Amino acid sequence: MKFNRREWLWLASSFGAAQSLGGQSASGQLQPLFVEVPPSASGIAWVHENAMSPSRYLPEALGPGCAFLDFDNDGWMDIFLVNSGPSDFWKPSSPVRNALYKNNRDGTFTDVTEKAGITGGSFGMGVAVGDYDNDGWSDIFVTAYGKSILYKNNHDGTFTDVTEKAALAAPGWTTSAVWFDYDNDGRLDLFVCSFVDYSGVRKLECGNNQIGRNYYCVPRVFKPTASLLYHNNGDGTFTEVSKGTAIAKALGKGLGVVATDINNDDRMDLFVANDTVQNFLFVNRGPGSNGRWNWEEIALQANVGFSESGRPRSGMGVDAADLNGNGWQDLFVANVDHEMFSVYENNKDETFRDAAQGHGVARATRLLSGWGLKYFDYDNDGAVDLFLANGHPDDMIDNYSMQVKYKEPLLLFHQGEDRKLHDVSESAGPAFERYFAARGLAVGDFDNDGALDVLIAVNGGAPVLLKNNAAKGNNWLGLRLEGATCNRDAIGARILWKAGGKLRQRLKNSGGSYLSSHDPREILGLGRATVVDELEIHWPAPSKSADKLTNLPVNRYIRVIEGRATF
Amino acid sequence: MWKFTLVLILSIGAIAQAQTPQELVQDAIQKQQAGDLEGAVAEYKQFLKLHPEATAIHSNLGAALAGLGRFEEAVPEYKTALRESPALAAARLNLALVYYKMGRIADAARELARVRAEDSENEQAALLLGDCYLRMRREKDVIRVLEPEERKHPDDPAIAYMLGTAWIRDNQVEKGQVLVDRILRNGDSAEAHLMLGSAKMNVADFAGARDEFAKAVALNPNLAEVHVLYAKALVLTGDSDQSSKEFKAELAVDPFNFDSNLQLGATRPGDPGVRYQLALIALDEGKPDEARQMLETLVRESPQFTEAHVSLSLVYYRLKRPADGKREWEIVQKLTAEAQAKQPGAKAQ
Repeated sequence: MKFNRREWLWLASSFGAAQSLGGQSASGQLQPLFVEVPPSASGIAWVHENAMSPSRYLPEALGPGCAFLDFDNDGWMDIFLVNSGPSDFWKPSSPVRNALYKNNRDGTFTDVTEKAGITGGSFGMGVAVGDYDNDGWSDIFVTAYGKSILYKNNHDGTFTDVTEKAALAAPGWTTSAVWFDYDNDGRLDLFVCSFVDYSGVRKLECGNNQIGRNYYCVPRVFKPTASLLYHNNGDGTFTEVSKGTAIAKALGKGLGVVATDINNDDRMDLFVANDTVQNFLFVNRGPGSNGRWNWEEIALQANVGFSESGRPRSGMGVDAADLNGNGWQDLFVANVDHEMFSVYENNKDETFRDAAQGHGVARATRLLSGWGLKYFDYDNDGAVDLFLANGHPDDMIDNYSMQVKYKEPLLLFHQGEDRKLHDVSESAGPAFERYFAARGLAVGDFDNDGALDVLIAVNGGAPVLLKNNAAKGNNWLGLRLEGATCNRDAIGARILWKAGGKLRQRLKNSGGSYLSSHDPREILGLGRATVVDELEIHWPAPSKSADKLTNLPVNRYIRVIEGRATF
Repeated sequence: MWKFTLVLILSIGAIAQAQTPQELVQDAIQKQQAGDLEGAVAEYKQFLKLHPEATAIHSNLGAALAGLGRFEEAVPEYKTALRESPALAAARLNLALVYYKMGRIADAARELARVRAEDSENEQAALLLGDCYLRMRREKDVIRVLEPEERKHPDDPAIAYMLGTAWIRDNQVEKGQVLVDRILRNGDSAEAHLMLGSAKMNVADFAGARDEFAKAVALNPNLAEVHVLYAKALVLTGDSDQSSKEFKAELAVDPFNFDSNLQLGATRPGDPGVRYQLALIALDEGKPDEARQMLETLVRESPQFTEAHVSLSLVYYRLKRPADGKREWEIVQKLTAEAQAKQPGAKAQ
């Protein structure tokens, strides 16, 4: 026989009351900042297949990614989830596929993958969403161990695999990818992270650990590879243009990438997190004299390549944002346990300083391994916060480590008025008491309430959808930017807004996190301000225009089209 | 503290009829009381699989894990207990103690402050909180917490020592002196010897200070910073071997003790790793040229020291010597490629 739940709750509460010895009990329950939406409520029944085998092939441990996107242009964020698939080390015994979930606008989703025709077919890793053909509809690029795929949006709920025609069949093992317009020609180009050279070495066994079984090889043992940069030719095709540039010379083990502008020269740069080798910071120096684009890799001198002790770390997730509101992009890298994560603050001279200790991020992440992450203003108070999804890559780590676990907790940091990030995970809700083998992370406002929600892709498990409750009481303005001469997604746009007597700014970056893609809209946190006094959009080149709008009402989404100062 | 927890659990458990889960808990408690902590942990976990909602048992499990020194595992158990029952003062105090033992003094202070906020009469929490603040160099907070306690317990040497030290550090020397005198009047205590040793150090009577600190260590080896003060006196009187032992003893009490970490490195001055760390400190202190000189010597002596090449490259860039920076960067690339070529993945093609 078992005690019933009531008896045990009584026991616990009686015990607590007795132990308080006259002290007051805690005040009323706080509402969780993020609430998990279970599959039974969301309708998202899909589960990731990691294909875990006794041989422990490394690709099994690295996926999957996820995305928020509005594939049908109905103004509601849909969800895309990447799955594994057939490969040279695994033949699925039953069908395995990606998933596209259409938003039903009532908090639930419907699986439309088969109709959309984006089931996959290779060992999928990550996803990058962008409108590469400027037709106003989101296209999907899926990275993989094996064949990467570009799905062109047909505007009718279906997609067409145009990989071969577009010449985007990135070889090898690709991970994170990012759409951005490096040459400011108004078309989105594509950077694709390449991980290690796994060809011919997949049978390499790493084992003889303390429990006598194979474990996932540390990537250090595999050869590094160069990442890939594809130039958009404007006719539906792409040309790989890294040859002869610093990108091709930089042999790395890329896992995460963000496109941003670290020196405010209006050219988008790239920050790449590498596993077990130094990170790369590719600064965009514009057209070169030899006909090639001029990229300069400056991570070491910028102080973002190695740890402060001169060692390469295991970089996985990355992001960029103007953390401290000084108009310069700061960076973030998540590493493996005992390496601590990095909060790189911009010194405004193409160098950075790691402020992770001062923010308390270093200590909070000492025993964690981070993948998906995002700098974003979760409570719409106007300051950038931070969300981290974690999990150790070795599923057997619990057997031989007292401190490090395979499944790890999520972390949430709130930026206080002291400009420091404060770990608020303990009060963020029950989801932060759970442990996950988290990998990808995407942010997006799936219920259009102006608060960015979070989607976490879990290796070998169901995705976790977290509804954001933290922004209640603060006002916001959502922007759907639409380029006309610049790229349609307006990546690289600078947004300035004045509300409540405060002037803030944001650069529309692209990418960030790990294997994942985010809601393309920008939500401006306004705090208690009830009107946006001024809003300026400085569109990226080749546009030369800046649109200015005034006295904007709050708590709604508006569409702003380049060159038309209306909404 | 957890003994009280166990007694309460037993009494509550006795209300219910003899049932298998209850017997499991009772058996676990008996094992815990008998010192069979491993057995207790196993049974508590077994029970919690059936009844994860049993808040108090999470607290008991935390206590058993802490007793085994498995602090990292104890923390989430206490947190679980506190999430469900925030008023579990005993669990919060135990959590603070675990943090304290882990050297997470700031976390311990946070929990103790919450215990105090809910129970201002909890003297154990007050003392520990004062000790945490003293280690964190938050003198004004030490004074705020311990001044009322000192009025209630004027003969308590621990309170007098912490409060007196805080007052002196806070430049309220006259107030501090009153407590110092009181400690000294009470005769042979660790606190008294610590005070005397500190006074002798201040007048460069290092041998005298060493002897006072030795007595303090013998009387109370857990007194804050007693080992590190003794170690410093030993260094100054030429006993480097014993000083290393004392610095290590301090680290066992406080893993983040700055002086101990620094001195244990510095006592191996020829070690390239130590010299590298000193170069990094110079760089961090805004002395890139000093760092450059140390790193240049280091890479001459140890040309395969990749980390030193990385830092030297960075230093050259800071000194606006990009050509030298690039040269060092190229050495880093070469060393990295050589190391990569030795990996099994390179041979298995």
